Amino acid sequence: MNWNMILYIVLNTAFVFLFAPLLISLIKKVKALCQGRHGTPLLQTYFQLFKLFKKEIIYSDNSSFIQRISPYLNIAFLLVASIFVPIVFIPAQESGFGNIILFLYLMVCARFFMALSGLDAGSTFGGMGSSREMTIASIIEPTTLMACAAIAFILKTTDIPQMFGTVLNGSILQYLPLLLVACSLFIILIVETARVPVDNPETHLELTMVHEAMILEQSGPKLALMELSYGIKQLILMALLINIIFPWGLATDATVSGILISVASFIVKAVILAVAIGVFESFFAKIRFFRLPDFFIIAFFLSFATILFELLS
Amino acid sequence: MEILFLGGCALLLLACALPLVSLLFKLGKASHRIALFITLAGISCITTTALICFFTGADYQQLIYALTPELTFSIHLDKLAAFFVALIGFVAFCAVIYSFNYIEHGAIEKRKHVLTALLPLFILSMIMVVAADNMFALLFFWEIMSISSFFLVMYDREKAETQKAGIFYFVMTQLSTFFLFIAFLLVYRYTGTFDIEATDALPQAVKSFAFIALFIGFGTKAGLIPFHKWLPYAHSASPSNISALMSGVMLKIAIYGLCRFTFDVLQPELWWGFVLLVFGTVSAVLGVIYALKEHDLKKLLAYHSIENIGIIVVGLGLYVIFNHYGLQTPANLSLVGALFHTLNHAIFKSLLFMTAGSVVQATGTRNIEEMGGLVKKMPVTAVLFLIGSCAISALPPLNGFASEIMIFLSYLGAFELDNPVIEIVMVIGLAAFALMSALAATCFVKAFGIVFLAKPRSKEAGKAMEAPPGMLVGPAILALTCIVLGVFSFQIIKAVGYELPVPDMLPVSILLLLITAIFVGLLKLFRVPVRIGETWGCGIQKQTPAMEYTATGFSEPIVTIFKLIYRTKKTNEKEYFDPAKSITKHTKAKIATFQFFEERVYMPLANLFMKSAAFISEKHNKDLETFILYAFITVVLLLVAAGLWL
Repeated sequence: MNWNMILYIVLNTAFVFLFAPLLISLIKKVKALCQGRHGTPLLQTYFQLFKLFKKEIIYSDNSSFIQRISPYLNIAFLLVASIFVPIVFIPAQESGFGNIILFLYLMVCARFFMALSGLDAGSTFGGMGSSREMTIASIIEPTTLMACAAIAFILKTTDIPQMFGTVLNGSILQYLPLLLVACSLFIILIVETARVPVDNPETHLELTMVHEAMILEQSGPKLALMELSYGIKQLILMALLINIIFPWGLATDATVSGILISVASFIVKAVILAVAIGVFESFFAKIRFFRLPDFFIIAFFLSFATILFELLS
Repeated sequence: MEILFLGGCALLLLACALPLVSLLFKLGKASHRIALFITLAGISCITTTALICFFTGADYQQLIYALTPELTFSIHLDKLAAFFVALIGFVAFCAVIYSFNYIEHGAIEKRKHVLTALLPLFILSMIMVVAADNMFALLFFWEIMSISSFFLVMYDREKAETQKAGIFYFVMTQLSTFFLFIAFLLVYRYTGTFDIEATDALPQAVKSFAFIALFIGFGTKAGLIPFHKWLPYAHSASPSNISALMSGVMLKIAIYGLCRFTFDVLQPELWWGFVLLVFGTVSAVLGVIYALKEHDLKKLLAYHSIENIGIIVVGLGLYVIFNHYGLQTPANLSLVGALFHTLNHAIFKSLLFMTAGSVVQATGTRNIEEMGGLVKKMPVTAVLFLIGSCAISALPPLNGFASEIMIFLSYLGAFELDNPVIEIVMVIGLAAFALMSALAATCFVKAFGIVFLAKPRSKEAGKAMEAPPGMLVGPAILALTCIVLGVFSFQIIKAVGYELPVPDMLPVSILLLLITAIFVGLLKLFRVPVRIGETWGCGIQKQTPAMEYTATGFSEPIVTIFKLIYRTKKTNEKEYFDPAKSITKHTKAKIATFQFFEERVYMPLANLFMKSAAFISEKHNKDLETFILYAFITVVLLLVAAGLWL
């Protein structure tokens, strides 16, 4: 492991860690504005996390080591996954970081332990949340892989930094089918971050809840870690979508100016996407749980169509 | 090498004989321990030989006994055979360690002797099938393997369920032998020898025929759908150390056979690859879908064996296809992936079966709805089962992921092909593969969550005790191997001599540890106060196990979404007090899933045979005149036939 890589890991992780909470509150703000409310301040998520870190931890007397370790594992898996998605600059090639399938499965790991912790306290809410989360995850997984396969097919690589590099060096006009995959990735992003047509991140006690139900028993700093990992997951999926279709601004080597431009351009793009997500959420109502496969099929079809398009051209 | 291998075999035979002798002379428990120790020594000798062969590339050949110059018992360990022998040896070693405490649990003294005696015989026969140099020896040991395992399955022979399992197993295993017989006799007919290598000389059309026979024969033993039905019955009925061996190792013998005959000897044709790919994908997806609705812990694991055999066969199928088109990198990826997954599945599945066995022994039931809360009663078993669950759910950085990613990456190699039709088939296969892998994770969240977490769901589960040390050490070795084979997969594949484009899992693992350590350290540093409270439940007075999510509830959404496959039948019968049907007396609700293969494929076939057998036996039960008539008709028919052909 060389210095370039270590610098990249430190900067990228730090950026993801610090920037992730802002996007959570930004999307909330956009939704509030759409509904005609003022909404909370943009820094609200930071305040909340800070407050949670100062609180005590309460464990259920039914719970085991699973509930205790799952927040750590969650954030660890997602932070390692974030290394796979270059935001500050594209690092020199290094075996081990970048494979898109390993990236997907790191996120599966985080979900696996979160679902287990939902079952740990023996509460009905947690069990319901884990059951639904794992069901949704199972039926979206073929779509996710299909989208990744389509990208890998178009860009002829399975390495995420290389994908970004390829689009950066060419032009999106060369890779027009990517726009179709982008739609599919957008749906995957909505599903994975438990957003409105699939789940509702704002409810705690409705029967609609999936993600929030699983973390119901977490408290204090452990809940903060869970919230943070949610933010990180959202940010890296957004970064994947953004940098695959609009990577411009992303630096290819580690210079101060390059990194600053990358970060600044990424923030602009991320804010635009976050606004889009907020608006998208406001236009939809929650879909009935057993109707979800129909929604996922759209994304599946888009990815499959991309592959067909690329095959026949 | 000779002394080591044959010495090992001799030790295993000795271990087999000892309990039988002690059965005659009424020697006590000590004989079990001695026999198991001898088994361990024997396995170690044989495994060492296999490892030497595998790493030095030395070929070890030996003639043991020649019945006639044609029919010989000879062994040959090349790299492929050595790999499988080492795999058998390693898993069997851990299973024997587990057996020390497990065997003592049984109620009937005589049967413990028989179990101890058959265990080394079963292990030896599996090793010899792989080591066999010709088809005659292979078939001979194959039958010993089938019969010894049949008696092991019948351990609890009084139970109706065991009898059903026994019948299914015996018929299916003989069916597989029958198809192997056909293939081997066919080869003998054309080449005049039982030498495995000679199969190469067959004409191409006959090769295809031999492939079909071999595929059905080995596929039945491996548990590929639609030849799988014996597997969940036999695995759940047999003692857990035997299920671990059957699922972890015996199924792999069939994979060995498939590898040896289809890739090493015959030149595979393109369509063979598709046969393997289709059957593999169907087994993988249906296996996990059936596992999801299963609430018998051991049956659930058995269905996952079908799934994993499917993954391995998919890998083999991809190898045939890529090899046909001369794409070396994806071909190597899929072959190494399939073989690596064979090893990995052997390890994590036997780990899961052993820990499941401990759980079943502690709670006295296999129904996961009656378990729960075991993480506090059996913490070590819980951690070991969790490692196994993570490995089988293909979570990085464990070994299950290390091999599945190879198959994923070789699927992506499909885009280098020039044939759009094949590419589309592969893309669909990839989607099915992804679905299977995600469903497996769901199933193991259910299995671990319902068995080990929350409050105990029955009295027995509340009184469960941690397993004795022997039953922890065996699985612990396997769990450690799961981690090592996963984290160092890149380095291991390199050391074995393959350069493959797979990600290095070591830096990822180091970073995972580092980040976890940082956060644990941070929370420790700030001395966050901790309080133990109740589970939050909307103001309920006291939480009871009845409020927990059940396994049925957990898999219900999946069952509803895949209702086309399950063909769930929901019936609701009501009786009323009054004719106007307003006051309910009784209500009976039932949810049943349709057993497609059993009800539509197996039982109709079995009934057909039963009917024809009944028809023939009725014809036997006649007086002398009828038999004279039979003889007369036969003579006439023979004369007519002779007149026609001569």
